Amino acid sequence: MAKNSSEVIDNKSVTQHFSRRLRLDLIGQRLALVVVVIAIWWLSSLSVPHYILPGPRRVWDALHLIAGNGDLWNNLGITLWRVAVGFVVAALVGLPFGIVLGANKRAGEFFEPVIPVLNTVSSAIWAIFAIIWFGISNATTIFVVFMTAMPLIITNVWQGTRTVNADFIELAQVLRMPHWKVMTKIYLPTILPYFFSGARLAFGFGWRVSLVAETIGSSSGVGYRLRQAADLIRTDQVFAWTLTLVIMMATIEMGMMKPLENYLFRWKKDAATQ
Amino acid sequence: MTHIELTEQTCNDAEQTPPAIRLSGVDKSFANGNQTIEVLNNVNLTVAPQAIVGLIGASGSGKSTLLNIISGILKPDRGQVCICGAASEEFNDWGSVSYMFQDDRLLPWRSAIRNVEFALEPGSIAKKDRAQRALQALQLVELEGFEEAFPYQLSGGMRSRVALARSLVTEPRILLMDEPFSRLDAQTRALMHEELLRVYKLKRMTVVFVTHDVAEAVLLADQVAVLSPRPGTIREVVNIAPARPRDITQPAVASYMQRLRALI
Repeated sequence: MAKNSSEVIDNKSVTQHFSRRLRLDLIGQRLALVVVVIAIWWLSSLSVPHYILPGPRRVWDALHLIAGNGDLWNNLGITLWRVAVGFVVAALVGLPFGIVLGANKRAGEFFEPVIPVLNTVSSAIWAIFAIIWFGISNATTIFVVFMTAMPLIITNVWQGTRTVNADFIELAQVLRMPHWKVMTKIYLPTILPYFFSGARLAFGFGWRVSLVAETIGSSSGVGYRLRQAADLIRTDQVFAWTLTLVIMMATIEMGMMKPLENYLFRWKKDAATQ
Repeated sequence: MTHIELTEQTCNDAEQTPPAIRLSGVDKSFANGNQTIEVLNNVNLTVAPQAIVGLIGASGSGKSTLLNIISGILKPDRGQVCICGAASEEFNDWGSVSYMFQDDRLLPWRSAIRNVEFALEPGSIAKKDRAQRALQALQLVELEGFEEAFPYQLSGGMRSRVALARSLVTEPRILLMDEPFSRLDAQTRALMHEELLRVYKLKRMTVVFVTHDVAEAVLLADQVAVLSPRPGTIREVVNIAPARPRDITQPAVASYMQRLRALI
């Protein structure tokens, strides 16, 4: 027994050692990539008028300006809030619907065609409908995020529900576990990884479509500011907004989603060795 | 008339301590399309408290069905099932009956200790007490130090021990096992046999296990019930006399094995 335990520990520390070296390598590579991209950007900008392609310096100044006068934080906050509301409502609707569709065969068969149809409707079309129905308001953006995120979450949860192991249900039955506990203790943990990957996808898509919605159906938010900057031919500001968005999305994805996923799904062989 | 007598028979005979399990005249058939398959026919079996009983028989003789009927997840078509002196339909202490499956059925998202706790979660035991009892159960199967390991980090034998701990954590009076070690390699299986007998000595519960392995039946059981092929009925109950621990190289054990093989 003691031998076994030391083997387990050894294995772990070896993987940790490797992954730390791997991570340092990776950080170096990423930094080099950023430097290369900025260098190419800077060189290209030298021979082009600044309203076509502003240089890094100009974009930095623009970023400084919008960050300084509060414009950046206000609009980022507004957009983030809209995305979050649309996303949360989509999750609240998508999770139970996905479970019902997966657990009830007849309902699943009946509604099966609806999801692909919803998925094929472009977000731009939802945006146009939203303007007709809600006008220039928060609801327009929220609606577009919702309509994009909801089918993605339903599809994933639905798939997850179908993978629930009948053997585990039988185990719970033998233990005389009440039905609602079977739901929370077996269904939910089985579905969670599927829900999570669906939610990640939905959040990413939600962000992108929120900008589309804001450019045509809003008088605030990052999308609106992007269009405004483009209309005024402030290309440096367009770049500044874009850059902020990219950095923010990358931070949320790598700084929050990925570690959360690794923690939640540490019981999976793959996640633990990452 | 005989049928009425059957149903009027009571599970609790005040004169003596009731058997742990008593099956009388149990029939069971399943519908398969438009034909019915008779799986069990007039099964009678009495298991004394703290006895170890092995059920063997050819595949399809309804061993697992019989175990599921004892555990109450299947209802017999006819006949009576008594558990600890109460009719199965009225028995309300299913927490004291444990069931161990062919595979370990550990929930992959739970650590070893949380898997053991799972068996206590249908009840209303406080979380702290659950953890305490789960830890004791893991200690009982000699898995101390592996509480926080996830199933994928454990070997087959260790997973089997966790499953055993999960069956024992409820302090069962009856332990039902459906070919519990059949998926393990021969060496690990032998270790699990020792483990089971060690725990049995400490806890003294009634054990009923299904196996297709005659050697396993003879090594562990006080009595081996042989089921005939479909429809299953108890052909003979053989008392295994030699004291445990037994060894298949013992002549007495070998002759029991021969006798049982001839009966299947």
